[in-house]
Amino acid sequence: MSASAKKRIMREYTECMKDTPAGMKINFDEQNMTKWEVLMDGPEGSVYAGGHFKLEIIFPNEYPFKPPVVSFRTKIYHPNVSNDDKGSMCLGLLRPDEWKPPNKVVAVLRLIQSLMVEPNIDDAIEPSIGNEYKENRKEFEKSAKDWVKRYAK
Amino acid sequence: MSESTPARPSPGQREMMFCHECHDEWYRDERGIICPECGSEFTEVIEDGNDPRDNDMYGHGPGFDYDDDDDDSLPALEEAGPHGVLRDHNPFRAADDDDPEEADISQMPQFQNTRIQNTGPGRYHFSATIHQTIPYPGPASAQAGNGANPVGGITSFLSNLITNAGMLRQQQAEAGDGQGGSAPRSGPDDAPHVHRFAYSSGAHLHPRDGDNPGPRLEPVDGLNNVLSELFAAFGDPNTANMFPPGAAPGGPPGQTFGGRPMDPFMGLFAALSSGQHGDFVTSQEAMDRIVSQLMEQTATSNAPGPASQADIDALHRKKITRDMLGDDGNADCSICMDAVAPEEEVTELPCKHWFHHQCVSAWLKEHDTCPHCRKGITKTDGDAPKDTSAGAPAATSSADPTTNMPGAFGVAGEGTSSNPFVVPGSSPPGPAQDTSSSAQQARSSAHDAAPANNHANAPERRGWWP
Repeated sequence: MSASAKKRIMREYTECMKDTPAGMKINFDEQNMTKWEVLMDGPEGSVYAGGHFKLEIIFPNEYPFKPPVVSFRTKIYHPNVSNDDKGSMCLGLLRPDEWKPPNKVVAVLRLIQSLMVEPNIDDAIEPSIGNEYKENRKEFEKSAKDWVKRYAK
Repeated sequence: MSESTPARPSPGQREMMFCHECHDEWYRDERGIICPECGSEFTEVIEDGNDPRDNDMYGHGPGFDYDDDDDDSLPALEEAGPHGVLRDHNPFRAADDDDPEEADISQMPQFQNTRIQNTGPGRYHFSATIHQTIPYPGPASAQAGNGANPVGGITSFLSNLITNAGMLRQQQAEAGDGQGGSAPRSGPDDAPHVHRFAYSSGAHLHPRDGDNPGPRLEPVDGLNNVLSELFAAFGDPNTANMFPPGAAPGGPPGQTFGGRPMDPFMGLFAALSSGQHGDFVTSQEAMDRIVSQLMEQTATSNAPGPASQADIDALHRKKITRDMLGDDGNADCSICMDAVAPEEEVTELPCKHWFHHQCVSAWLKEHDTCPHCRKGITKTDGDAPKDTSAGAPAATSSADPTTNMPGAFGVAGEGTSSNPFVVPGSSPPGPAQDTSSSAQQARSSAHDAAPANNHANAPERRGWWP
């Protein structure tokens, strides 16, 4: 990883620390700054409220020219998070062809928070959960809350 | 592969006999209970629920009869590897030892003793013996195979496959039966293999017997049946015996393969098709994955390519001026996030977004787009109409597609010529909102219908856009 990439990640971390979005905690290891661990609370009012989700942000060597890779380490029932052991997300500004260098991790974190409030159904990585969200909201909410209880407490 | 196979005469109609020695089959009422082929008395009546042929099957798909002929001796699929005997059969054998290039030729399977026989009522029996000499994969021979000619790579790949198959079989080969036997191989020398591939078609290529009507059969086998037979011939010889007699070792050929994880040919298929055994899926999820995979590939190919070095070099360089800085006199390059100082030289794109030259050229070498607004820097004829999406008329933040995305954040004010900064120490959205109207104006004025010489012309265009 280039020095400028490291510098930028460092700067972003500093900025995050100055103004951490509500409901988030960032664990940063200076020895390995390309991997951030984020603890995110389920946003109030969402089905994930009360849950605590661990996320991992991996910065590619080409950062900021390539997007960071975000994954949920805590299982979450969400149309935009893959329902496997990877918990990967790939949408919006995280998509390689939509990523722009001026985008920042804070924006990524805010995107994730907003997605927890309102999933992006058109971009679902789990189409079955997306369909359920669209057509059977009650069932979706039940499963999501159930998963919060099971995995995210 | 199952007893219900229509190609088999129903034992209820006429009694069929089966010879365990030579695997021949015949009608009892025609030829008695002693094998007419080899004279053996080790024969059995084929009955419902007791089909001795199952014990001798090699994993063929439905629609097959397995007929084996005695005079070809080796029970099919047994490894027959007595060096001395087969060495003589291989015309290329002599050349192997001294000429490494020749090895490629001799590694090609040779089909010998190809025969097509009419065996029994309406069945044809095709059999072939494949002779192969496979040098054990020592480093020397591998290099010789791969070295000079491009075909070497493929042949050595194939021969590796077959060698692996041979080694598998070697491990599994018990003391051989039949006159062929199997000689345990010792040491890394060239060892000939014989794979015997027998394909018995259930096809009835003659008029149906009016006196003895049987069920109607498909006249020709499906290709996959033929292939599955071939795979079975190369596969694990013990597979057939893994199925307990009486139990129906049936099922689609695919399942049969699944039970044979080491099959080298399936490995070949997996290698060729990235682990998928065909362009079919069975679930909605898998379908979605394929579709999204395709879309990703397409998206990548649609993305703008890199900008040319000449275009990058031709970009306008300018010094940071006071009006490019924020209210507090600070601004930074939005790629590296380093602050810029007044008088520092930056590179401005046609869309008026500016960056450190080093920063933006690293991006432009990969994508011909502005890191902010995605407008290309390469001048094309189609630029003017396309501007509407990235340029002034759409510059209000609500119309900017990127800010419409969920969770998009306020970059509208950052990096434009009039609002090129993030103010350190304050919340990023603050200044962006404060200056968004001026940012829109700046974008408007930056709108650039005829990109040539836009830097010189840009000031004159102010006012084109209200």
